[in-house]
Amino acid sequence: MMHRRAFLGAGAACLLSGGAAAGQRSRPPDLHLEGREASWYRKLPDRRVECQLCPRACQVADQERGGCGVRENRRGLYYTLVHSLPCTVHLDPIEKKPFFHVLPGARALSWATAGCNVECKFCQNWEISQFRPEQVASFPMPPETLARQARQAGAPLLSATYSEPVVFWEYVRDTALAARALGVRTTVVSNGYIQEAPLKEVLPHLAAFKVDLKSFREAFYREVLRGELKPVLRALEVIRAAGVWLEIVVLLIPTLNDSEAEVRDLARWVKGHLGAEVPVHFTRFHPTYRLTNLPPTPLATLERAHDAARAEGLAYVYLGNLPGHPAENTLCPGCGEMLIRRAGFAVRENRLRRGACPACGRPIPGVWA
Amino acid sequence: MSPTFTRRDLARLAGLALPGALLARRARAATRARVGLAPLAGVELTPAAGRRALERALVAATGAASPLAALRTLFPATETVGIKLNCLAGRGMSPRPELVEALAALLREAGVGRERILVFERSARELRRAGFSPGEREHYRCLGIDNDYDAEPSTSGSIGSCFARLVSTTCTALISFGVVKDHDLAGVSAGAKNWYGVIHNPNKYHDGNCDPYLADLLRHPFLRQKVRLTILDGVTAQCHGGPAFRPDATWPLGVVAASTDLLAADAWAWRVMDGERQRRGMPTLAAAGRPPRWLATAQGYGLGEGDPARVEVVQG
Ligand code: SF4
Repeated sequence: MMHRRAFLGAGAACLLSGGAAAGQRSRPPDLHLEGREASWYRKLPDRRVECQLCPRACQVADQERGGCGVRENRRGLYYTLVHSLPCTVHLDPIEKKPFFHVLPGARALSWATAGCNVECKFCQNWEISQFRPEQVASFPMPPETLARQARQAGAPLLSATYSEPVVFWEYVRDTALAARALGVRTTVVSNGYIQEAPLKEVLPHLAAFKVDLKSFREAFYREVLRGELKPVLRALEVIRAAGVWLEIVVLLIPTLNDSEAEVRDLARWVKGHLGAEVPVHFTRFHPTYRLTNLPPTPLATLERAHDAARAEGLAYVYLGNLPGHPAENTLCPGCGEMLIRRAGFAVRENRLRRGACPACGRPIPGVWA
Repeated sequence: MSPTFTRRDLARLAGLALPGALLARRARAATRARVGLAPLAGVELTPAAGRRALERALVAATGAASPLAALRTLFPATETVGIKLNCLAGRGMSPRPELVEALAALLREAGVGRERILVFERSARELRRAGFSPGEREHYRCLGIDNDYDAEPSTSGSIGSCFARLVSTTCTALISFGVVKDHDLAGVSAGAKNWYGVIHNPNKYHDGNCDPYLADLLRHPFLRQKVRLTILDGVTAQCHGGPAFRPDATWPLGVVAASTDLLAADAWAWRVMDGERQRRGMPTLAAAGRPPRWLATAQGYGLGEGDPARVEVVQG
């Protein structure tokens, strides 16, 4: 039987490189992971290293890997094993990320490698994010090829997404540089759990950044994904200060992070620290991976979160995973005019004029051209 | 948090050879906290010497009349026996092929069919690096897990992992065949830490010196019910710099160890490693900031004897 992980990878390879057809192999190949030296780490005594990429700051002994499973200590040098080694590459509408204020209707060549630096019990993509690179079907694709593929596919955007771009940050950086040379812009969809130095180093090469803010409570971060909230909030401030377009997604999970008090705290923080014009998407949870004992998020919960965030003063609040819901649309916060009408990931109508409301002329922030 | 398993996990365990499991459990209860040791120096390491040491350690660990009697109690002929090796450190600090060969030969003589003895590690590549030849051998089949994991994760306390199908489904009884070495995070890597190699995501479970993760893993019924024996190749041991091979931190411990207790061999390994570290003027594992606390947690779960001071060593 074809393994689902192998299928994902084989399908992606087929899509873009004309490689093996899906179903040819039941397991990933016995891949030798050459790796290349990581950009953010320091050496410690006894051939140990400390990773300086994400706030986990893993201290890793010789022959061992960091928590993300994609960085390995080899005799005191630290290697990323996933540079130029995606496990999936797809053309997606940019709305799927979701970015609602970035080139509406554009397609983004979206890619990911294996691995993640946290372990969300509700991960939708756990079959790649929670595995090591040798455990999923991956295929070589250098940054230049990825950029060229986007260009050839007519996609103005690339998007590092699906698993966790932080763990393949060198690959994101090098791809963004290669893409820029071809006139393709790079976006990132991330948990924002990254140290400041590597974030600041790569931000100038990016067009937009979407952060999954998993909750507004430290306890949730600790218990449900074994991460921390504080560094994510700091990353949000750094991204905003760098002037890179930012959108935030919050997956509302029944009973875990969906209280009105938490939503209001979050909205107040966003308004106070990032500004009222940063879009916030509340999306619907579906049971998966290790969180199968909870129901999908009720519509009423999502609508209540939407109304609470609006009441706190956020200008652009959306609901996701609810195709056809009116809160998928962009309205002018000034006059209420319908600006962009969406149905799921499809843009039905875009009435923006040079990035402004056609009725009242109010500028609408985003990457529109 | 209490362990949760899927219905499918329980269904697979229902397929275990029950009388065998019960007999083995009784035998293990009788030898709780016991570690059997037999001397074996590197210079004498011929297949015959390896076999003799293994036999003596088995008898010492189980109190059985003979090594074959010990193995017959632990592994009735109806069982499919998986022997998990720890080959992460390559040839320098992995179980010796001669000893593994001897164990498989003894299992055959005890009545387990060749087709029911599976010697495995995470990958065929690692096996080759440690001097093993994947494929059909005289007494067993040697293979890598090579990504053949269950399609869905199974949860045990803090652990949520896809298990190797060899462990969840194919084998009805398991042996951990490890070494005696230091581990940078777990403190000790002997018999128990070896089981990190049967889940798809061990890198997620190294925080807090592997506590409670390693204990939670051992508590999963796939391991708790199937692991009957731990064997340690202690001809050479390593007191620092693990899990990689560090020749300057090795010393000739000169023993083969066996235990039917899930934790006792590791508790003993902790004791001997601290002894060697003190002889070298190094801090103990606790003083170095990596006490194997997971042993006490696992003991709290009722999995065995995790207190080094309470392990009973029986010389074979
Ligand atoms: S990126 Fe990976 S290795 Fe580095 S600190 Fe984060 S989890 Fe650890």
